[in-house]
Amino acid sequence: MAAADPRRLGPLERQRRRLFWPFVLPALICYGALFLVPIGYAAWTSLYQWDGMGEMRWRGLGNYAVLLEDPTFATSTLNTLKILVIGGLVTFLISFLLTLVLREMRAKLFARSVLFFPNLVNAMVFGAVAGFVFSPDGPVNTVLGWAGVETPPKWLAVDNVFPLIVATLVWTATGYYTTIIMAAVDQIPPYLYEAAELEGASPWQRLRNITIPLSWDVITVCAVLWTVSSVKVFELILLFGGGNSGNPPTQTWTTAMYVYTSAFPNSSVPKMGLASAAALVSLAMVGLFTLLLRRIMRRDPIQY
Amino acid sequence: MRAPKASARFLAAGVVAALALTACGGSGGDSGSPASSGKGGEFTYWSMWRADEPQAKVIKAAIDKFQAETGTKVTVEWQGRDVRQKIGPAIAANKAPDLWDQGADVISPTALAGQAADLADVYAAEVPGEGKKVSDVVDAKYLDQLPKDAEGKNRWILPYELISAQLFYNAADPDLADPPATWEEFIELCDTLKAKDRACLASDGDLSWENFLTLDYLIVRDNGPGTLGKIVADKSGAGWDNPGILESAKRMEQLVKGGYLIKGYDASKYPTQQTKWAKGEAAFLMNGSWVASEVATLVPSDWKMGSIPVPPTKGGNTEADAILFGFTVPKRAKNPEPAKRFLAYFMKKENLEKISTEAKNITPRADIPAPAELESVQKTLVDNPARTIMDGAPGEYGDKVIYPAFLELWHGKITSAEFVAKAKQAHIQYWKTAG
Repeated sequence: MAAADPRRLGPLERQRRRLFWPFVLPALICYGALFLVPIGYAAWTSLYQWDGMGEMRWRGLGNYAVLLEDPTFATSTLNTLKILVIGGLVTFLISFLLTLVLREMRAKLFARSVLFFPNLVNAMVFGAVAGFVFSPDGPVNTVLGWAGVETPPKWLAVDNVFPLIVATLVWTATGYYTTIIMAAVDQIPPYLYEAAELEGASPWQRLRNITIPLSWDVITVCAVLWTVSSVKVFELILLFGGGNSGNPPTQTWTTAMYVYTSAFPNSSVPKMGLASAAALVSLAMVGLFTLLLRRIMRRDPIQY
Repeated sequence: MRAPKASARFLAAGVVAALALTACGGSGGDSGSPASSGKGGEFTYWSMWRADEPQAKVIKAAIDKFQAETGTKVTVEWQGRDVRQKIGPAIAANKAPDLWDQGADVISPTALAGQAADLADVYAAEVPGEGKKVSDVVDAKYLDQLPKDAEGKNRWILPYELISAQLFYNAADPDLADPPATWEEFIELCDTLKAKDRACLASDGDLSWENFLTLDYLIVRDNGPGTLGKIVADKSGAGWDNPGILESAKRMEQLVKGGYLIKGYDASKYPTQQTKWAKGEAAFLMNGSWVASEVATLVPSDWKMGSIPVPPTKGGNTEADAILFGFTVPKRAKNPEPAKRFLAYFMKKENLEKISTEAKNITPRADIPAPAELESVQKTLVDNPARTIMDGAPGEYGDKVIYPAFLELWHGKITSAEFVAKAKQAHIQYWKTAG
């Protein structure tokens, strides 16, 4: 981008420049008012001890010090990272395998709809269904019993709840990301695949050398979307771990859950400052991950 | 939100016209509001119930009568349980309603923050037409056990519904015809059932709060009321070294190791085992008394709901868990007086008894009989001193200190001694960051 002498620009470019601010400003104002101001407010709140109702008391970085020391926040952060990294890797691995199959199969539109379906179902349903399917004398153990398994695993034991949550997330997200990636794959000219086939490329080589490079931009966007959404995981935790009263076990908490329980506690004064600090830390985490991802995944666009 | 507001206004205007009160004028822009002299006035109410729930219908009927009789204009928003998340920001923005309701554990954060009005004047007021004060019909024992607010008062709630945590069972079950009166008898009964290949206790092992209720009771039975509260408050964690705590934890270990628990309790998700209990596969289930309505459609037709508190271990210490649902008035309410008048009005027997007859719950008035399935719960509440579950310890303390170790004990992964050690360690960690 050469910051050239404006006189050397064409009339179209000059018009474009003149219209830049009138078009961008409204969006910028909305963005500022709806996102930046609340974030700034949260940052300010995080420096205080505040019950969310009365006066605020200055606490400096005290809330952040608490987060550092609180083992529950460490567990919550670790869980969020597990969802982000492990859940993300598994989701995208399955999505790629599916694109490999889906591109060439018959009735692929139908198959895609089926894959997308879990994404439309309310998370509430998964909680209830998992409770039934994996219960000690539920269908899974019955089938295992037929296969001669005498002591089936305790699927729903507290230690297994978090892996189950990650598995549910992967299952619902796979269809979603496969659909997006497939939309990009459909744009790849078929003659590229035909040529590769003629030259004897295996399906794996076609995925590696054609599909992935040519849908790279979309994959990058999907990776960022996954990062952002994984930090917000909340209702699944609530649904998988608990009944009417009380919170899910801390082993399954994510940072979002930590924020919630700090802001809306039972029988104690709400800690809005701590909740804001925790929210900001997770925001910083997403920001950092997104930056890293974009840096790692940066490629020159391929024209085709 | 518009529609009910408009209809309430219309109704109020109609009432005003009918009573020929000269109430026009008032506060300028706000048309149709009756003058707030003694009677009349207006207030807003955010309900924890959605409009189609039985409690909402009972409260709505009372509000309608109250409006007609006093010319007070009541603006109701049927918020549902979300009122819990909405009330804090509303108080902060000075837009709180004049009245809202919830469980005492949800209201107490506002009270502890000094944002709930003292309702002493409501308790001193007369229940209209009954010649008795509100404090005469609501037993003080339910209130004295509540956490104290910033000013050391605990009259920040007026309860209209009582819940208790008990061991529920089928009183028509011949095996359970003679419910145990002591802990020893309870274990004996469990042994008898075990010999018959029946589980003594059902439990959904993923639930922390519900399962801890039993140990919470045992700590009181073994060590007297208020013990857990003292342990929580002692920052050093020395409270956990009290030998009586280990004694109670050992009783829990006995339940686990004795094989009295329903099979698969540690590998299922609520409400799997509760459902099995309702079908008679285990004798007892520890839970809040809402369980009676939760399983109402599951139990066989000859089921008769009975309940006992955790039996005493060494005589005395017979406190019963009491969970209060009730009204509260924010300190910054703009129209507290009419709201408080409604509270006294709602305590009238003819209003409150519908909480029992229509909403199927226990009321705080001992002269209103509980619905049949909760008779035994009401009797336990009336006959024994009341206590708050976990002595009102912060929910955070349960989540971070007690439950992680407790669930391991309950799932048979650690011993009672290890439980106490783990809880103590988590307690010390908790106080490093809390407060």
